[in-house]
Amino acid sequence: MSVDTARILPLRNGAGTNPKIVAKNIQKYFGNVLAMEDISCSINEREFVAIIGPSGCGKSTFLYLIAGFEKASHGELLINNVPITGPGPDRGIVFQEFVLFPWLTVLRNVTLGLDIKGVQRQEAEERARKWIRLTGLSGFEDAYPSTLSGGMKQRVAIARALTYDPEVLLLDEPFGALDVQTKNYMIQDLQNLWLEANRTIVMITHSVSEAVQLADRVLVLSSRPSRIIADVAIKLPHPRDLRDPLLRRHEDEITAILSAEVDKAMSLERQASAKAERRGS
Amino acid sequence: MSVETSDVRLERYDLSTAPFGAMVGIGRAALIVVPLILWELCSRFGLINGFLFPPPSMILYKLWVQSGPIGNPPYAIWWHVAYSMLRLLSGITLAVGIGTLIGVALGMSRRARLVFQPIISILMPVPTLAWTPVLLLLIGIDNRTTILVVFLAAVFEMIYIVASGIEMMNVKMLWVAQSMGATRWQIFWRVIIPGIFPYLITGTRLGTGYAWRALIAAEMLAASSYGLGFMIYDASEYMNMDVIYGGVMLIAVLGYVLENVLIGKIEAATTEKWGVLNER
Ligand SMILES: Nc1ncnc2c1ncn2[C@@H]1O[C@H](COP(=O)(O)OP(=O)(O)OP(=O)(O)O)[C@@H](O)[C@H]1O
Ligand SMILES: [Mg+2]
Repeated sequence: MSVDTARILPLRNGAGTNPKIVAKNIQKYFGNVLAMEDISCSINEREFVAIIGPSGCGKSTFLYLIAGFEKASHGELLINNVPITGPGPDRGIVFQEFVLFPWLTVLRNVTLGLDIKGVQRQEAEERARKWIRLTGLSGFEDAYPSTLSGGMKQRVAIARALTYDPEVLLLDEPFGALDVQTKNYMIQDLQNLWLEANRTIVMITHSVSEAVQLADRVLVLSSRPSRIIADVAIKLPHPRDLRDPLLRRHEDEITAILSAEVDKAMSLERQASAKAERRGS
Repeated sequence: MSVETSDVRLERYDLSTAPFGAMVGIGRAALIVVPLILWELCSRFGLINGFLFPPPSMILYKLWVQSGPIGNPPYAIWWHVAYSMLRLLSGITLAVGIGTLIGVALGMSRRARLVFQPIISILMPVPTLAWTPVLLLLIGIDNRTTILVVFLAAVFEMIYIVASGIEMMNVKMLWVAQSMGATRWQIFWRVIIPGIFPYLITGTRLGTGYAWRALIAAEMLAASSYGLGFMIYDASEYMNMDVIYGGVMLIAVLGYVLENVLIGKIEAATTEKWGVLNER
């Protein structure tokens, strides 16, 4: 992780105007539990979108829908104007729980995407080593995942997704297990990657400051069953300084929306459980 | 599955912590050596029937002679062991291969599981030896009969354990591979097989144990010239007690080597190195 890569890049090439991912009235039931009520949004090419929302509102589920692991109960989900029918190498994912392969070393975990594609061993290792270095895992190439700490596992998962270079990166709380310092380095690297490589990134996070620092747009989800209750565009140049008052304004704005939503959900839940208790007694 | 256990698996390591480990080792050896010495002495001094219980040294000497050029037939022990091993390994290979395929198919498909679970549960407890007369009638006294017995003894355990291994597998591992564009074939070899490896090892270990026992018994019924089971059966016709005991000892030692040393080696090179727990 190189600090010196934090170059001063005034404005990136800018998010394209072509929609990459389009969700129209997505509804998702698990059995007869409604997890998502109505999600509609459009994510442009090369856009960095952060999704934030109360715990259990369906953020991971939304990512799995885009990845093609799960099917929406209603609605339409398009990538490049084509309905998503299943997973594909154009979309790479970093799971909240990492999901490494315990039988592969760090290096083999990271090269897996290229191995599957049939890329030459040597080239695959070269590309993997770049990301192993940038995620600060040098020296652990031959370690097995069971010997790594949670934060290291998360970095392996990030390196694994970045190495095979998908057009769309789906990140489910990718910095959740990292300490603040490591996280800041990783944020910088992710930012540089995205400035250079022009990938579309959808990132779930619980941290408003992370969201406003990285994203072009922040989508705020309501509590379950979820809808999009705010779509905040952050039009500030990168790299961003968290002390920038404009950024702080966005941060406060989103925090306010989010806490209002959580308060509402919690009080509704308390009422419901109180009612159930009264009925029960 | 694949529970990561760098800190959970204490009881497997405490054996090697000297000096406690050394004491356990001595105790284990003593439990085998002391009774053998007692047996030797009692037999030599006529405290027990020397015909029914020939001294262990005689048994070992008999094994030694029978493994050499003046054995009857020459190198007899080697031939018996080789035949038994050949049957065992062929049957086990079949059982592991076919059992894994069926187990994966059952594990991957809920519907297949619902259909096949009852029949497997019904067949599983049938002692393998009960099939031997049927196979004898169908195939006759032939290596194929004994190999099939080995197969039957191991395959149900294999199917069962592999299917439950698949069920325990984190479906997100499959998702990761799919999102990298892996084909079904790649997913099978790169994710499913290593993912259920702890279960494969356990299934093979248990299956080998069952199969070894079933094989020896089947060889008594269905082998015509070689095999440890046949050797014991043949010796009992001529009341060669030393050959019988020698056979029993060989069976015990080989069974131990197969289950613990051989499979233990595989285990150490795979699941133990990866730090995943073996289901036992
Ligand atoms: N496979 C499933 N079967 C049944 N219910 C599910 C399933 N997956 C998710 N859910 C439910 O859907 C809701 C959304 O889950 P999801 O994991 O998407 O939440 P999340 O927003 O990612 O939460 P967190 O921030 O805690 O990670 C939850 O109430 C969860 O219980
Ligand atoms: Mg989640």
